[in-house]
Amino acid sequence: MAKLSRATFSIIAVSAIVIFIFLRLFYLQVWVGEKYLSISEHNFLKEILVPAPRGEIKDRFGRQIAFSKPVVNLYLKPNTSEKLEDIKKILRAVLNLNYKTLNKINVKDSDYLSKRILIKSNLDINQIYQIENALERFGSLELVVDYLRVYPYGQVGAHKIGYLTTNDERDLLYGSFLATRSGVSGLEKKFNNSLQGNLGSRYLLVDSKGKEVKDLDAGFEKKTTITKKGQTLNLTIDIELEKLIFDSFGELNGAAMVHDINTGEILALISKPSFDPNLFSKPISTKNWNQLRKDKSRPFLDRAFLASSPPGSIIKIVTAIAALEENVIDPDTKLYCPGYIRIGGRKFRDWLRGGHGTINAKQALIVSSDVFFYQVGLKLGIKKYAKWLDKFQFGQTNNLPFSQNPGVIPSEKFIKKYLNGKWYPGDMANVAIGQGYLTINVAQASIMTSIVASGGKIPELSVVKSNKKPVHENLKITESTLRVVQEGLLGVINNKKGTGFFARDDGKLAGKTGTAQVISKDARSYGYGKYRNHGWFTAYYPYDNPQIVISVFAEHGSSGGAAGGPIIKKIVKYYKKNYLKGDI
Amino acid sequence: MSLLQLARKPEYKILLAGLSIMLLSFVNLLFLEEVDFLNSYAFKQTLWIFVALVGSLMIRTLRLRMLKDISIPIYIISLILLILVLIIGERISGSKSWIKIGNLLSFQPSEFAKIALVFIIAKFYSELGSYSKSYIVKYILGLGFFILPFLLIVIQPDLGSGFMLFVIAISVIFSFSYNQKILLAVVLFFGLSAVPIWNYVLENYQKERIINFVNPEGDPSGYGYNAIQSKIAIGSGKILGKGLGKSSQGKFKFLPEKHTDFAFSVWAEQTGLIGSAILLGLFAFLVIYPLSFLSKIKDQFLQVLLFGMCSYFFFHFAINICMTIGLFPIVGIPMVMFSYGGSSLLCATIALAVISLILGDHQNYETLGV
Repeated sequence: MAKLSRATFSIIAVSAIVIFIFLRLFYLQVWVGEKYLSISEHNFLKEILVPAPRGEIKDRFGRQIAFSKPVVNLYLKPNTSEKLEDIKKILRAVLNLNYKTLNKINVKDSDYLSKRILIKSNLDINQIYQIENALERFGSLELVVDYLRVYPYGQVGAHKIGYLTTNDERDLLYGSFLATRSGVSGLEKKFNNSLQGNLGSRYLLVDSKGKEVKDLDAGFEKKTTITKKGQTLNLTIDIELEKLIFDSFGELNGAAMVHDINTGEILALISKPSFDPNLFSKPISTKNWNQLRKDKSRPFLDRAFLASSPPGSIIKIVTAIAALEENVIDPDTKLYCPGYIRIGGRKFRDWLRGGHGTINAKQALIVSSDVFFYQVGLKLGIKKYAKWLDKFQFGQTNNLPFSQNPGVIPSEKFIKKYLNGKWYPGDMANVAIGQGYLTINVAQASIMTSIVASGGKIPELSVVKSNKKPVHENLKITESTLRVVQEGLLGVINNKKGTGFFARDDGKLAGKTGTAQVISKDARSYGYGKYRNHGWFTAYYPYDNPQIVISVFAEHGSSGGAAGGPIIKKIVKYYKKNYLKGDI
Repeated sequence: MSLLQLARKPEYKILLAGLSIMLLSFVNLLFLEEVDFLNSYAFKQTLWIFVALVGSLMIRTLRLRMLKDISIPIYIISLILLILVLIIGERISGSKSWIKIGNLLSFQPSEFAKIALVFIIAKFYSELGSYSKSYIVKYILGLGFFILPFLLIVIQPDLGSGFMLFVIAISVIFSFSYNQKILLAVVLFFGLSAVPIWNYVLENYQKERIINFVNPEGDPSGYGYNAIQSKIAIGSGKILGKGLGKSSQGKFKFLPEKHTDFAFSVWAEQTGLIGSAILLGLFAFLVIYPLSFLSKIKDQFLQVLLFGMCSYFFFHFAINICMTIGLFPIVGIPMVMFSYGGSSLLCATIALAVISLILGDHQNYETLGV
């Protein structure tokens, strides 16, 4: 009996243990087998990601507006037989990392063994030399070159260039790279696909030391994605000119644009106040972000395209052309211009109390007579006027790759929709001198001036260099009309009575100043503090062979001549020095 | 007698099971490396299999009676070898456990000591049985035979083999001299001595092994590493395995000792649950089938011997598998016949031959009245 029980007991005990072992095998190989399979693949397949630098953004002379600066980061890939303590010792010796930092380096997640732990970013050259030795000893240390986006000109033209933000596709292995950040505004966004490089990945077969195993015919598939640098974006911009303009604004805010009349290429396009896009090249600090967000001057607003203001007197260019082309007046028509005019029982003042006397269209442009253009506007009527505003591209957006506010023109549709179809002579008079239901941006002002300077050609503006020949549609304005306006604009700057006499230089600059009222002229606080008027100044140069158009919009800049004049003078000086060396 | 009829006989069934395990071992080793066959572990294992087969055939020609007679000489030879290894032994990774024979083969006396111990206990228990029923005498006798080789192995130091000797001795002694009070006393003794042993006897690396057995994920790159990598290997094999020759864990050296201690891990990785179940089944058969004859055997020497040999097989494969699947600390115990290793293979075939001999001849032994 005892013998029987001994045999039976042994058999039962052995069977129980064998069954238990089988269940454990079943658990490991079937129940959680998939997990272990994935771990084993990550064990020997070491995925290495190779970030690609974002393409450069260069100005028309090849100067860097944005580039990618390599930064070297040290990662830990904790999946070897190497002891973490040994690695920490080396790190402490070589990188002077303190215990607090080192203690944060912990390896817990054995589920995902390919995952990297960032030890230190942006190693300097000495640290890289010193860590080299450790790299040979420890396969689990890895140096990865990432790229930081740098904008050497900072705030200058930042709205146009744009900035980056973190990419949603966070990399599971390395956390997030700076190089994979993508454009969130401006050209960085618009051309993100071509600027952004291709994140490369390589799979190495490695042994437990992290060393690459070569020529192992084991049938493992290697997937490799080649790292590709982003494409360079060449702009028509002259970044030094932009910097000059930006600095010339001084305390003023606003926007300015310079473009080439013949090619439509934009040489400069700035908006002020601005922000430093470098702040967004890596995760921005909460402090910086809040500061920018709460800034009352609204630094993110692109004043070149998104701010639309009444044009003030610069619109008199269109009023004059429309009146002449529609034969409401002819070049010799003279009108009496006292200090005010009564329209519908209300006094409409001229900016000059005493008035300008009896003057023709050219003279009216030079002195910027309000009363002359009130009368012309009333004779012209809103339908014809709106047609010409439309011809000059107001109320429309152009094909530049920026978000734009088209502004408002008093078209039939607009009057119907917003004014219940009621349009009074007073409204007409106001619009004819650039106040009331008419708003434009700086680019639209430049297009208008360009049309006048080029003899009627609507410029096809561009900001990115291309080999395509621009097609400029021609408005076909009569020669005599053009002469009146062109001579008028020349007089604005070079005639003693001209409103732009501030900017007088070599007699070859022609332009028009404007003042956009922020509140009614009749209000008590008119013209002071935050109610100071916006100043406009649009000009072209040189008069006899027009090459460039310059438009300046100065927020609360009082009058266009006072604010814009000095800026335009500096631009012309720069242009003469850098572009017309041989010609003049 | 045809081969099929031969295979039906218990003594051949058991040999067949053993041979199958050796064959799987050969296959496993063959696909583990990419070196010339003549330099491979698979080739060396083949040599050992032939040596072992010759040895076991020699034992098969013995008469059962002779087994009892050679018990004392075997035990004495094993002690001499254990002393010899301390003098002329090769020190490999800190332990003097191997006697080198020429350049090709080396021999591990501790393996032989396990078999020898079973023989000597069997002999004295059977002879004692006729005139003493005292448990105490059996205990003291059993422990006496155990303690000498045990100490000699522990000072090599080879903790794994010492532990195996201990487990085999305990299982045999208690199975054939069972007494509840003493069993309780032994359990208590080891329970109470655990603290001083932990504090004063165990080396730091041994403590770390035990700590890491309890929590291997705590330090995956340190001592727990082997345990995790072994589980990864086994688990990643899933049901059907990655296929022979596709052991990534083994090939890329994630698993150390893949020929010996972790041979099962790479086998399970390559052949999946199917392969590991086949191997498990073969070992289960190797142990359970002979045990089922235990009650039919009248002679106590043969009983103890048979039980001891089964114990030898059982603990080797069970502890090794448990080690690889994270149920037992990594203590360096190979899986007999399946792991690469000449001396363990040789000793295993001796055990196999002895079991086969007993299963085939125990009735004759009885009728002969010896």
